[in-house]
Amino acid sequence: MPYFEDLDLGDEIGPLEIEASDEQVSAFCSIWDRETPSRFTDGALAAKSGLPGPIIPGIMSMALMARLFTNWAGPGALKDMDVVFRQPVPHNKPLAISATITDTRQEDSENIIECDILMTGTAGERYVGGKAILSLPSRP
Amino acid sequence: MALELDYNKSLYGVEHRAGPFPVTRELIQAFSQGIGETNPVFTDVETAQVAGHADLLAPPTLCTIFVRQIQLPSIDLEFGKISMHAGQRVQSIAPILAGDQLSASSHLKDVYAKTGRTGTMVFVVWETTFSNQDGTVVAEVEESFARR
Repeated sequence: MPYFEDLDLGDEIGPLEIEASDEQVSAFCSIWDRETPSRFTDGALAAKSGLPGPIIPGIMSMALMARLFTNWAGPGALKDMDVVFRQPVPHNKPLAISATITDTRQEDSENIIECDILMTGTAGERYVGGKAILSLPSRP
Repeated sequence: MALELDYNKSLYGVEHRAGPFPVTRELIQAFSQGIGETNPVFTDVETAQVAGHADLLAPPTLCTIFVRQIQLPSIDLEFGKISMHAGQRVQSIAPILAGDQLSASSHLKDVYAKTGRTGTMVFVVWETTFSNQDGTVVAEVEESFARR
């Protein structure tokens, strides 16, 4: 568990290295998507949308990015995450999720850190980027 | 000169209510499994209770799956042919737990044009507030869709 006092601007969080398989994406889509197959699960339907292959849904990309923070700071630390989907995120490719601390402050007796967060590919693709705000404990 | 956008502006100020959306243990476990989340407060009831929660805790962005189930009206935007999910923001305000029944209230927040290297896109932004069965606001989700 990271403590607020131990963190500085510019500190890196992660990377969390992941890869979402076809099966994982299909399983995730089956939770909410009533229209399967879709461009998220089917190559032909993805091609019809002008995509090179099936893609990870935005809400799944965001949930994967939130894992960086639940792994690092525990389940209740993440308060706010705001992301932009810059490029379609492919299945079956290594993805790295990392964050950089851009601000630390105390606000209404809470210890707040702000981060830039990014999901990248191995060839430097910047798939999803954004900002996150976390509330962290003080060192006892 | 700013692009004059043609769409149904009467939707501003109108709240679209949906739900209830039941948050079940099975849903939290399936969502957690789908993203490889292994923290046991999301998957094991006993661990969640030892940690002080009444039941399984939902991962921070779980309510985004409910947003996708809300039927929002068309804004009748006269621009572009392709729509894509451009961005999303989730503010976690209070814990969401297994057993909760969430209700949603959505409104059109903004419609604006932006011109970049690849041309002009129009962004449509909806904001949804989720409350639990006690009326406590638990999360706010903002979704933006780009048309080009």
